[in-house]
Amino acid sequence: MNQLNNVLTLFFSLLVEAMPFLLLGVLLSSALLLFVDERKLIAAVPRNPLLAAFVGSLIGFVFPVCECGNVPVARRLMVQGAPISMSIGFLLAAPTVNPIVFWATWTAFRDQPEIVFMRVGFSLLIATIIGWVFSTQKDLRPLLQPAIARSMPVPRSRSRRRKKHEESVSDLLQSGTFILGQSGKLQLDGDPLETAALMANPVLSKPIPVRLQMMLDNVILELRELGGILVIGSAIAAIVQVSIPRDVVLNLGQNNVTSILAMLLLACVISICSTVDAFFALSFASIFTSGSLLAFLIFGPMIDLKNIALLWSVFKGRAIFYLFALAALLTFLVAFLVNLYVS
Amino acid sequence: MAPTASSRFLRPSHLPFIMALIDVAAILTWSLLLLKFCWTKEINLLLHPDYVWLAYTAGFFLMGLGLFKMVQVLGRLLNRSSRRVKRSQSSEAISHFSIFPFGSAVMLGVALFGLSFTPQPFASQTALDRGVMDTLTLTRSQPQSFRSKSRPEERTLTEWVRTLNVYPEPDAYKDQKAKIEGFVIHIKDQPDDVLILSRFVITCCAADAYPIGIPVKLKGSRSAYAPDQWLRVEGKMATQTLSGKRQLVVMATDLTKIPKPDAPYEY
Repeated sequence: MNQLNNVLTLFFSLLVEAMPFLLLGVLLSSALLLFVDERKLIAAVPRNPLLAAFVGSLIGFVFPVCECGNVPVARRLMVQGAPISMSIGFLLAAPTVNPIVFWATWTAFRDQPEIVFMRVGFSLLIATIIGWVFSTQKDLRPLLQPAIARSMPVPRSRSRRRKKHEESVSDLLQSGTFILGQSGKLQLDGDPLETAALMANPVLSKPIPVRLQMMLDNVILELRELGGILVIGSAIAAIVQVSIPRDVVLNLGQNNVTSILAMLLLACVISICSTVDAFFALSFASIFTSGSLLAFLIFGPMIDLKNIALLWSVFKGRAIFYLFALAALLTFLVAFLVNLYVS
Repeated sequence: MAPTASSRFLRPSHLPFIMALIDVAAILTWSLLLLKFCWTKEINLLLHPDYVWLAYTAGFFLMGLGLFKMVQVLGRLLNRSSRRVKRSQSSEAISHFSIFPFGSAVMLGVALFGLSFTPQPFASQTALDRGVMDTLTLTRSQPQSFRSKSRPEERTLTEWVRTLNVYPEPDAYKDQKAKIEGFVIHIKDQPDDVLILSRFVITCCAADAYPIGIPVKLKGSRSAYAPDQWLRVEGKMATQTLSGKRQLVVMATDLTKIPKPDAPYEY
C-alpha cells in the first residue's frame, strides 16, 4: 500500500511540475506556427552547408517548437527550398535548443548546471554534424515520401547538360508548377494544389481573429496529445523508480556503457515531450551516470517512437534509419566521453 | 477522424462535439486539480516551494482556457452548427498530425483520480530503499557558500549535514549542542540503542527527493520510537564507530514526539 502511494505521489509530482512547462511550450509553439513566416528565415540562411546546419540548429531559440511541432515546420522549410542541412539541423535541434527547454532543464538540474549546458551544446553539435552529413546528398528527393519529393524545388545543379538544357528552354515551355513572387526560378513537378498545401503556412493568409481561434484550437490539440503522452511517461517513470529493485537499477545505472544504452532505449520508447523530459530524467539522477542522463536528454527529442511516426510523413524508411543511427551513435559517443572524462 | 460508434444517437457528426466536450472537461478538471493541490498545501509534498507559483499560474490559465472553450462549444451546440468545428479541424490537420487522439480522455481520468487522492510524504522505508546509508551525510547540492548558524543548537538537520560535508572530521563538533527534528529510521545491523533521524531533501519535485540523516544514540532501546515517528532530539554531539565507520552521533538527552510537519521536506 505504501509502495502504491509512493508511486502515485511521484506520478502526480512529475505531472504537476511538468504541466506549466508543457502549457508554455504549447502556447509559444502554437503562436509561432501561426504568426511566423518561415520564408523570411530561409532567405537569411547562409549557403555554406556547415554554417546552414549550424544556423538551422539555432533557429529553435527564436522558434521554440517541441518535437511534434517541428516536423511540419521542417517539412515546410524543405518544400520551400531551404538548404537540406538547415532543415535537418532544425529538425533535430529545435526541440532541445530553445529557451523553454533550457529553463525547464535548469529548473530540474539546478544542482548540476553542467548537465544543462552540455545538453544544449551537444544537441547543437550533433544536429549540426548530421545536417552537414545529409547535405552531401545533393538531391534529397529519393529519401523523401513521394508527395513531399514531388513538391520540392528541382535542384539546379543536377548535371551540367541538364542545366544547359534548362537554360536554353524558356520557362514558359517547361512543365510543372512555378511559384509566383519567388526570387529566381522555383520549379516544382507536383500537383499544384498538393504543393500549395504543403508549402504555405496555411494560416498566414487569414485575418487575425481567425488566426487566434486557430491558435486556441492548436493549443488544445497539442495539449491533448502531449498531455496524454506526458501522463504515460510519468506513470512509467514513477513505477520504474519505485518498483524495480535498487540493486538491479544500480548495477545498470552505474556502469558507463549499460547506463547509456538503457537511457537511449528508454528515451526512444517513452517519447516524452522535450519541454518536460528533464523532470523525467531527474527521477533517475541519483542512480544513473551523468552521461546516461545526457544521452536521454539529447537523443529523446531527436528520435523516439512518437517522432518516428511523424518523421514517416516526410522521409522514407531509409532516411529515418540514417537519422536514427547517426543520432544514436553520436549521442552514445558524447555520453561515453562525458562518463569517462567529465563526471 | 473515423467514427467509433454508429448508433442512431451517436452519429459521426456528433464526434467533434464529444471530443471537444472531453477536451473541455479535461482542461477544467486539471485546473481544479492544480488549484486543489495549492489550496490544501498538498503541493508541499509534490514540489519545491520555489515552483508553486508555476502550478498556481497554470491552474488559473487552464481555468480560463477551459471556460472560454466551454462557452464556444456550448454556443455551437446550441446553434446546432457543426460546420465551423469541422472546418477548423480540417485546416488544423494540414499543420498538425494527430497520433494520440485519446489524450484528453486519459488526462481527464487522471485528473479525476487526482482530485480524490491525497499525496503522502515519503517515509522510512523509502529512505532505506533509496539508500539512506549511502548518502547518510551527503547532500547532492554543492553550494558554493552557505552560512552556518553560529549557535550549533540552532542548526537544522540539513545544516548539520551540509556542515559535515564541508568539514567531515566528527571530532571537530565534539560536545556541541544539537537540537534537530526528523523522522525515525531503524537500521537492522545497528545496535538497538541507535536510530537514524532523517529527512528528505528536494531540489525540484518529489521525483528527486533524497534522504539525509544523522545517527542518534539513545539511553534505552529504540523500540520506544517506531519508524516514521517524528521526533525533536536534543543532546550533545560525539564520535562513535557505527557500521565500521567513525561518525558524528547525537547523544540524546531529551526526545520529544512531534506531529508530522505540513512541509516535511527540507530544501
